[in-house]
Amino acid sequence: MTGAERGLLVLPGRGAYVATSLGTLDPAHPWVVEADARRRAAGLATLSELDGAATFEPRRHFQPIHAAPLTWIAALLDAERAATDHHVACVVGNGLGWLTALAASAALDFGDGFAAVQELARLQQAPLPSGGHGGQVIYPLVDGEWHPDPALRTIADAAITGDAGAASDRAGVVHLSADLIGYTTFGGDDAGVERLLRQLPPLRAGGRRYPLRVALQGPDHTPLAGHVAAALRDNLASIAWARPQVTIIDGRGRRWTPWSTDPAALRDYTLGEWLSTPYRFDTAMRVALREEAPDRLILTGPGTALAAVCGQALVAEGYQGIRSRQDFERRQRTDPLVLSMGS
Amino acid sequence: MTFDRVPIVESALDATLAALRDPDRLLPHGAPMTPGSTLSATAAVEDQVLSRALDVAARELKKTNRSFYTIGSAGHEDNAVIGAQLRLSDPAFLHYRSGAFMMARARQLPGSTPAFDTLLGIVASAEDPTSGGRHKVWGSRAMWVPPQTSTIASHLPKATGTAFSLGRARRMGVSAELPADAIVVASFGDASANHATALAGINTARYAARLGLPCPILFVCEDNGTGISVPTPAGWIVDTFGALPHLAYVRAAGELDEVWAATASAIGHVRRTRQPAFLHLATIRLWGHAGSDAELAYRTPNEIAAVEARDPLLKNARRLVALGAATPAELIAIVRDTRDRVMRAAEEAAQRPRLTTTAEVVAPLAPHRPAAVAARLRTTPPVDRTGLFDGQLPESLRAPTARTLAGCINAALADELARRPELLLFGEDVGRKGGVYNVTNGLQRRFGAARVFDTLLDETSILGIAQGAAHLGLLPMPEIQYLAYLHNALDQLRGEAASLQFFSNGQFRNPMVVRVAGLAYQKGFGGHFHNDNSVGALRDIPGIVVAAPSRGDDAARMLRGAVAIALEEGRVVIFLEPIALYHEKDLYADGDGGWLTSYPAPPDALVPGEVGVHHPEASDLLIVSYANGLRLSLQAARRLRDEHGVAARVIDLRWLAPLPVEALRAHAAEVGRVLVVDECRATGGGIADAVIADLVEHASIHGPMSSVRAVDSFVPLGTATSAVLVGTDQIVTAAMASVTSTTGLRA
Repeated sequence: MTGAERGLLVLPGRGAYVATSLGTLDPAHPWVVEADARRRAAGLATLSELDGAATFEPRRHFQPIHAAPLTWIAALLDAERAATDHHVACVVGNGLGWLTALAASAALDFGDGFAAVQELARLQQAPLPSGGHGGQVIYPLVDGEWHPDPALRTIADAAITGDAGAASDRAGVVHLSADLIGYTTFGGDDAGVERLLRQLPPLRAGGRRYPLRVALQGPDHTPLAGHVAAALRDNLASIAWARPQVTIIDGRGRRWTPWSTDPAALRDYTLGEWLSTPYRFDTAMRVALREEAPDRLILTGPGTALAAVCGQALVAEGYQGIRSRQDFERRQRTDPLVLSMGS
Repeated sequence: MTFDRVPIVESALDATLAALRDPDRLLPHGAPMTPGSTLSATAAVEDQVLSRALDVAARELKKTNRSFYTIGSAGHEDNAVIGAQLRLSDPAFLHYRSGAFMMARARQLPGSTPAFDTLLGIVASAEDPTSGGRHKVWGSRAMWVPPQTSTIASHLPKATGTAFSLGRARRMGVSAELPADAIVVASFGDASANHATALAGINTARYAARLGLPCPILFVCEDNGTGISVPTPAGWIVDTFGALPHLAYVRAAGELDEVWAATASAIGHVRRTRQPAFLHLATIRLWGHAGSDAELAYRTPNEIAAVEARDPLLKNARRLVALGAATPAELIAIVRDTRDRVMRAAEEAAQRPRLTTTAEVVAPLAPHRPAAVAARLRTTPPVDRTGLFDGQLPESLRAPTARTLAGCINAALADELARRPELLLFGEDVGRKGGVYNVTNGLQRRFGAARVFDTLLDETSILGIAQGAAHLGLLPMPEIQYLAYLHNALDQLRGEAASLQFFSNGQFRNPMVVRVAGLAYQKGFGGHFHNDNSVGALRDIPGIVVAAPSRGDDAARMLRGAVAIALEEGRVVIFLEPIALYHEKDLYADGDGGWLTSYPAPPDALVPGEVGVHHPEASDLLIVSYANGLRLSLQAARRLRDEHGVAARVIDLRWLAPLPVEALRAHAAEVGRVLVVDECRATGGGIADAVIADLVEHASIHGPMSSVRAVDSFVPLGTATSAVLVGTDQIVTAAMASVTSTTGLRA
């Protein structure tokens, strides 16, 4: 056994850049400079401008074209810092965090990584082929101690088929989008999202009301995003894929190591399944904890919302004896297992 | 030479990697190691290094008594190339040195956690996803690896049975998740290749091939040249299996890419031809048989070092670098990272909970779901039965054409075959002949040779076919022609079939109803081998159900109960049919027809716990018996009444395992005097022992308890049988002794 602690780097998804994240980018950092130049050339507000805004404007900042690259670059900058302070043995990302993981592990270089996130965000601005933008809805799956609540799971499963409420309601299209351990995320077209909001029994958890529609988020990681994946395959045909320099774990829980990764297979997954099938963050975390045995979880910014999800992953696994929210919070007070870098 | 060779071998790997020079040219990332192949060499090496690290972790944890299993895969890591080339939909029955195979197979299943799962098995944690902490076995539901301990090659007959049943199951609409070109793999060592079960499995596959029946199985003999301390004679495996008709032999040895190519060829042959192949994989064994094996007791230090020098990890590292598939630095990084994560994961696994209570341990052994069984019996869809029985339903027949035991079983089998399309009936002479005693007469004609068929003459293979068919979702009903023949194959029930739910924590099951013609009293015919009266060996198997009908109507109803229990509880049910009663018509006197019964139509059924009660109003004495003993007891009861004025109630146990103890205790408490009539051997650990012990421990019996039993002997030929078996005189004498005794009676 080597002496160095094994760090698991956890990268958040697109909704992570929030009001408190303003001002986190260093405008002079070469990556920020390059990103700003590219966005300027494309006629878009620069990331420095967005990050330097006096106030957070949800209608603006949550637009995919802004939120995605902001989140991506903020997380990537944290990942760079994390790598200097820790032995990062493995990287997982949630949703868009997968694209950050590709860049953080050098499977994509900065330029190609930025091109990928920017192109993805551009495509996500457009309406769905079937009309409307669709959306995502979050619903909890655990109780106050972060233990699975079977009744909530039953409701969530039934929501896909339209049987979650008192009466069947099959309006629109709904798919599972992501499994976030303590929460499930549905993606649907506009009618499907409306139906979920109508049909899922309202409840309050962690100070928030559910079902919760995620602001300006489309039905990513569902078949409704298949056209985005197809367009990305065409539009990103020229970017260069390499083996990652650290093990990364994807949204199916597959480990991609620095030694055996076939870059073509990595490309095929990213520009295919990643966008059009559910992102199993729960599985990714489970694989990371069990197969990589991290001593510490390092959660990059922006934001800190994923810290609770990391805690729920630890509870789900009983990792290092953490079997409840109380266990997790106690551990965090004494010898934190999850280090949050974001704000 | 130090005793602990683990650090020596680990250091040798480090030193070899450190000494390797960078290749002159590097293959592109993701390119196969050799042109035209699909070999991802670094993936294979990752799997091999991971398997090795798990072996090391098991021994490290053992030092602090936190692991319980140190039989490793070290030296066998080239089996990763087999795991990599087979599909998750190719059922795999693996032996215990299959670590690298499993790591490679898990690579095909995103989200799997093979390293941690293995560690949970090693530390016997209740979270072990394979056995739930009951044994360290290679297995996975998602990866189609049914677990077994595999120590004596007893998994080969069922592997062959699975291959034999693949096409049949598919045609019958069962196991549809397996593709049409799926094949089965079974691995074992060179020493294990000598086991009778290994030879039976291989022989049966060849036999099927000779008949032109598909039996797509890849036998993998991982030849490390040693069975614990005994060397396998040089060339023994190729001498024995290298030139057998109906078995393609492929040698896999040498460099990683050569092993890959040979394996690809063997798998391709089986997949293409649907015929068996024998892949002879060269391996070595590092670190002894297990952690407790002191290799120095039987090998010289030089011999040990010579084997270590042939470590496949060293061989493969050199080859990868020579062909430009990896740099030494990359291989060093793989080894470092793998060791690091495995040792930390081992510490985590060792903290995970273990099984603590009896209830936890036995939960999957004998699931008891009476409500589901009852529902299954009620809801089975009816079929149009008139066509089955040539226009006249068996229940409509009445004396003098009422049915014998054999007739009722025959009709019940027809009913079950008709209403359960997944049911198979097979064994020696079961098909065309209709059974030695005509019990299966006409069934092949009515239900076809795909469902009712003759097998080769080997009980081990018959039970292997049953297990394989059951693994695929069929409901096998194999027939063992005589109870005495079952003992030859008993471990197929004990070590394999009955243990599957236990070792897989209920994830795999092989429900079956094994019809066994047995017990004695064939009027002087046959001697021991056709009159065996030993049931102790069956009752000793944990979780098994043993049914022993005596009358035709009971047999039909019990058969339905047995089928429902097999299906709902996944149990192995022995249906022990008393041969001597198959065609018996009379009870008290020639021509009285007292042993003929009408046929109870479906869904009428009996389940364990339900006893037969004769003369319920009688209360001078309770006679407890079963099978032939029941008929003798009823005859004795008649004599007791007529000759002595004694009223004896007679209980038919019907079920020998589990015993119907609740009913038994109630009747015994009510009557007070108990006589057990046991046609099996006095020292056989038999029914009388169990019944009396239970009543002593659990019932308030105030009267005497006694028994009559068969003598502790093999059953002789001819009239001498009566000298060892229980007869009515003996029962009457014992009964009179009981009713005249004052032992234990309150004043």
